[in-house]
Amino acid sequence: MSLSSLNQIAQKELSRRFLPEGGVAEQSRGQFRTDATAWGILAYGSAGGRYETLERHRARLIREQEGDGSLGVDKGHRDSYWPTALAILAWQNSPVSQSAQSLAIRFLLESTGVHSPKNPDAPWAHDTSLRGWPWIKDTHSWIEPTALCLMALRATGHGEHERVSEAIRMMLNRQLPHGGWNYGNTLMFGKELHPMPESTGAGLAGLAGVVSHEKVARSLEYLQGEADRLRTPISLGWTLLGLAAWGSWPANSLALVERCLANQSRYGEYDTSALCLLLLGALAGEKGNNVPLLVNSSGRRSPALVVS
Amino acid sequence: MVDAENNKMEWSVTRRDVLLAAAAGLAIGCGFLLVPKRYFRMPQRSQAFVGKVEHYQLDIAGTISRGIRELGISPVEIKGKRVLLKPNLVETALGAPHINTHPLVLRGAIEAFLGLGASTVMVAEGPGHRRDTLAVYEESGLADVLIEDRIRFHDLNYITGYELPNAGRQSSMRILTFPGLFKEVDWIVSVAKMKTHHWAGVTLSMKNLFGVMPGIYYGWPKNVLHREGIENSILDINATLKPHFAIVDGIVGMEGDGPIMGEPKRVGVLVMGQNLAAVDATCCRIMGIDPYKVSYLERADNWLGPISETAIQQRGEAIASVQTNFGLIEQIPAQRGIRLT
Repeated sequence: MSLSSLNQIAQKELSRRFLPEGGVAEQSRGQFRTDATAWGILAYGSAGGRYETLERHRARLIREQEGDGSLGVDKGHRDSYWPTALAILAWQNSPVSQSAQSLAIRFLLESTGVHSPKNPDAPWAHDTSLRGWPWIKDTHSWIEPTALCLMALRATGHGEHERVSEAIRMMLNRQLPHGGWNYGNTLMFGKELHPMPESTGAGLAGLAGVVSHEKVARSLEYLQGEADRLRTPISLGWTLLGLAAWGSWPANSLALVERCLANQSRYGEYDTSALCLLLLGALAGEKGNNVPLLVNSSGRRSPALVVS
Repeated sequence: MVDAENNKMEWSVTRRDVLLAAAAGLAIGCGFLLVPKRYFRMPQRSQAFVGKVEHYQLDIAGTISRGIRELGISPVEIKGKRVLLKPNLVETALGAPHINTHPLVLRGAIEAFLGLGASTVMVAEGPGHRRDTLAVYEESGLADVLIEDRIRFHDLNYITGYELPNAGRQSSMRILTFPGLFKEVDWIVSVAKMKTHHWAGVTLSMKNLFGVMPGIYYGWPKNVLHREGIENSILDINATLKPHFAIVDGIVGMEGDGPIMGEPKRVGVLVMGQNLAAVDATCCRIMGIDPYKVSYLERADNWLGPISETAIQQRGEAIASVQTNFGLIEQIPAQRGIRLT
């Protein structure tokens, strides 16, 4: 599979999910969803899609934005505001989306999950006082939403913000002792929990450029060992993104992606978000920082400066 | 009687008496308010079936069919129905197949329901830990089985939802959002795993229904439900969804630090029934656990179903013939003091 054929697949597959009124459906012939739309913009844009088309979908995201700047997963579920970070990334480099993007950034900087002082007697081992971002309002901070918020804030020049520094500490605190991340717990009742490729990929992508290699060496090692066996889009997509962010995109990545795409005959058509994640993982090795999730030049700092 | 003339009463009531009577009434009223409502509930009755299946290669479909028959469910109740099987798929780990409902139990359930005339059987799950449902589907071995059997699998974590008022009202959630797919099915069957659990004490057919709540609305883990109280959420989901049947895979269960890190426990049973509270109470007794000491089951008693042994008509094997104590961990509060004595 070549880069040009990958671009063609991305454009063709995603075009089938575009809605005439703007926005992207969760599946072909499915309903609009904000997460699918934001992922669709990111993947379609990375695959060289038309600017006018991207703007039409960005405009739909603007229409879906709440007054406080957040975007719920659908209109009836404002508390499920985890797509806000994705929308910020999707609005990047779009002048007409700038005010919506600024409002969403302010929302992220002012919102946090539920946190409490660290309790040494608690059954969980992580530091519950460190703030990242939750999936859903009024819940705890977890790995993937925090990684997405880190990427969004760094991509838009907020890499120096104290919330970003704290989120980086939170992510490192949630890293498993033997490497990798899961959804966001480390030890429970004294036992180390299992790592998961998708969470590890997200964690590594979120921390690339802001922590030193040695801080995440075990996680990189874990993920490199996983890549070949992965057959499903969310795991493989985040794995390739995480490894690409650290210059370790596997040489056989496109073959893995091709196999994963072919597995739709086994699993059925992939959801738009999962498909886009896979396509972005595939494009990440070829395009590096031109893949929006990994754009962090304005926030990039010398790793040693950020987390000691 | 008041003698107006003399302004006397045959028995006089002073202000002090009135105040004392009011105080006594208030005390009695408050006393009733303090006693949990469950003590005033009408007793309920149900049935549970226990079938012996020593290992996964044996006739699971036959055992489930027999169970359905012995529970008195007529073929008319299943014929033409669209049945959704909800397994317990959490995450996968090398050498730990006992984390998840075994794929062959699902195959057995599929064969049984189709054999009894169901028009469609599908399998659906929304794991709480992994964002990548398809990875758990694949790595658990379920994909191989369902693809071979041409049975459709649905990922509940990403299905756009529909709302129902919270019928349980144990948590502060006013509404619950279920996957839209549920509007297209007639029977929802919880195909759970027999496990101890470090937050809930046990995870059986009722707790298994956490997995129907879409991750896009409840997160990974489904932290909204944790914040609302795990027990409250179990009760609310069951009271609102009203599932139709339960099958618990106790061929090999999990003891100790469940639902993930515990050890395999061979029991050799399938437990099933139409009332999930009764099924779970029966499972508890098989596991050597007192269901009245499992908070959410005790609260469900005679509301969502009976948990008293005398109120559950036992079909199939006697509990005593299959009972085996599951290991409990004293350091885990939810497992402390729940042993059946």
